[in-house]
Amino acid sequence: MQSRDYRDILAGLLLGIAGLAVTIYAWNSYEMGTIRRMGPGMYPFGLGLLMVLLGVIIAVPAWSRSGPPIEVRIYSPLFVLAGVAAFAYVIPHAGLIPAVVAVVAISSLAELKVHPVSLILLIAGLCLLAYLIFGFALGLPIRMFDWSF
Amino acid sequence: MDIFSNIVLGLETALSLTNLAYCFLGVLLGTLLGVIPGIGVLTAISILFPISFHLDPTTALILLAGIWYGTTYGGSTASILLNLPGTPANAVTAIDGYPMARQGRAGVALFMTTVASFFGGSVGIILLMLFAPTIAGFALSFRSPEYFALMVMGLVAASMVSTGAPAKGLAMVVVGLVFGTVGMDMYTGVNRFTFGHYELSDGISLVALAMGIFGIAEVITSVRRVNVKEIDPATLTFKAMKPTKEEWRASWGPMLRGSGIGSFFGTLPGTGPSVAAFIAYAFEKRIAKDPSRFGNGAIEGIMAPEASNNASDQTAFIPTLALGIPGSASMAIMLGALLIHGIVPGPNLMAEQPSLFWGLIMSFWIGNLLLLVLNIPLIGIWVRLLTIPYHLLFPAVLMFVCVGTYTVSNSAFDVWVVLFFGALGYVMRIFDFPAPPLLLAFVLGPMLEENFRRTLLLSRGDLSIFVTRPITAVILAVTLVLLVWTLVSNARNRRKAA
Repeated sequence: MQSRDYRDILAGLLLGIAGLAVTIYAWNSYEMGTIRRMGPGMYPFGLGLLMVLLGVIIAVPAWSRSGPPIEVRIYSPLFVLAGVAAFAYVIPHAGLIPAVVAVVAISSLAELKVHPVSLILLIAGLCLLAYLIFGFALGLPIRMFDWSF
Repeated sequence: MDIFSNIVLGLETALSLTNLAYCFLGVLLGTLLGVIPGIGVLTAISILFPISFHLDPTTALILLAGIWYGTTYGGSTASILLNLPGTPANAVTAIDGYPMARQGRAGVALFMTTVASFFGGSVGIILLMLFAPTIAGFALSFRSPEYFALMVMGLVAASMVSTGAPAKGLAMVVVGLVFGTVGMDMYTGVNRFTFGHYELSDGISLVALAMGIFGIAEVITSVRRVNVKEIDPATLTFKAMKPTKEEWRASWGPMLRGSGIGSFFGTLPGTGPSVAAFIAYAFEKRIAKDPSRFGNGAIEGIMAPEASNNASDQTAFIPTLALGIPGSASMAIMLGALLIHGIVPGPNLMAEQPSLFWGLIMSFWIGNLLLLVLNIPLIGIWVRLLTIPYHLLFPAVLMFVCVGTYTVSNSAFDVWVVLFFGALGYVMRIFDFPAPPLLLAFVLGPMLEENFRRTLLLSRGDLSIFVTRPITAVILAVTLVLLVWTLVSNARNRRKAA
């Protein structure tokens, strides 16, 4: 336990900042219009203000109460998200199978233990599964291999 | 048309070979993903959502709905055997189910929860058949202000009952509404928040958003946390599944009461099967002659919640189909599936698409029957599934998330969107912001804005329209009471705890 609820203070703060960004962006970029004939900016402008208000409601009471520590994992989000990014980057350049290999191989590192044999079997199995479901059974127009680097 | 000819029409649709096959596929996949802990119903639906794009709307909905109620059936397996709920809706079942398994009564528990699930599901479907047409008829007189008020009530209720602080739930509703504004403004044609990406002018892809905040975020939090435990196969033979006369007798009451409670909470906005199961359990414990039996393997403690969560799964379709207003995030995905196929649910759906409406409902009967037949002999297979180590499972989940998103419109951009929402979903978990209200608000957002702006156009900018129309005023007043009451009682509880 911590003397203040830093998790909620930070949560409210982040929400408030995001809300402020929405409000200011809507105000600067889009027409406000009138209540009767609203422009594109009025509604997001109002939502942004609501976010700021809720941010305050979350953060202020948290100042005077104890709270749980903030738990952040580093490796799991890093490898999982890197795997997804690799898929998104590879698929337009090299096709489905290399993209599947990329996401499976990179995200598996999130376990922080590498079992080479089972990893290779897993990759082979999932490539086959991807081909069978998306290529063979559903007949989607995706290239399995498409080298265009 | 009378109810009888509707049933015949529905059966004709649901019993076509394609629909039957996809109903089977849906409940099978649903059970499978429900059995595996760490994959909730929302993750299951969003992973399989892209497949439904390539089907006709009725079949797509039959498939998605099968996954939805299939996960609730399957979820009890892990609750009972591992004390790890397969889905949040089955969490309460573990309180008495796991002690039963430890006493060697796992077979009985699995058999009886399947019976309870079927019973609850049946009650829910009957109520759906009886009430959806009536409610739709009533709603024909609704105009923009009423729809606006109903949506506000749904969103507020969804944020109030979700776990954690209500202010955080509300905050996620507003954030979801903001994401809902991305894309072209329907009145003026201006592109909002697209930052120069033409891919965003149709709005953020629902699939990508759901996969990110549920699928990816769930994998990130579960890696290196979910462990497989040993299970004793001797308790799972057919002979071990046979309940005693005593157990049957003790089960009827909880099953009936659970179905009633579940059906009621299923129709309310915001209260999904998890809340329904919890309340049914608490109710049984309250009225029991000897409450101390609960938590030590009381059969009532698994029958009531399992009947309740399945009943609420079915009645949740009442507001979604009759009003076009989903009460929960999962129903929002169902609505999204319909919208993508160009079908707008609402009071006119039953008249305009009778074969879709009644076909879907009759497929619920078939699906529930399949689940009853499927689950009892297949329990052995589901149990073996539970022993697949998570380090092999999660890369497969990620593969399906990536390929599934990509295939919706052959767009790598959507996979980057998944990445964004995966990161956001994880940050939300760090700060204990609930994700379901965000998804619900994202789906309802464009409709909410449209009805809000149209209302004020009709009233010539006069805000008093929200209090002068009786139905609108009542709905908004109820919402306000709910809001104030929850915020005040929450603040009071926190002060007491501190």
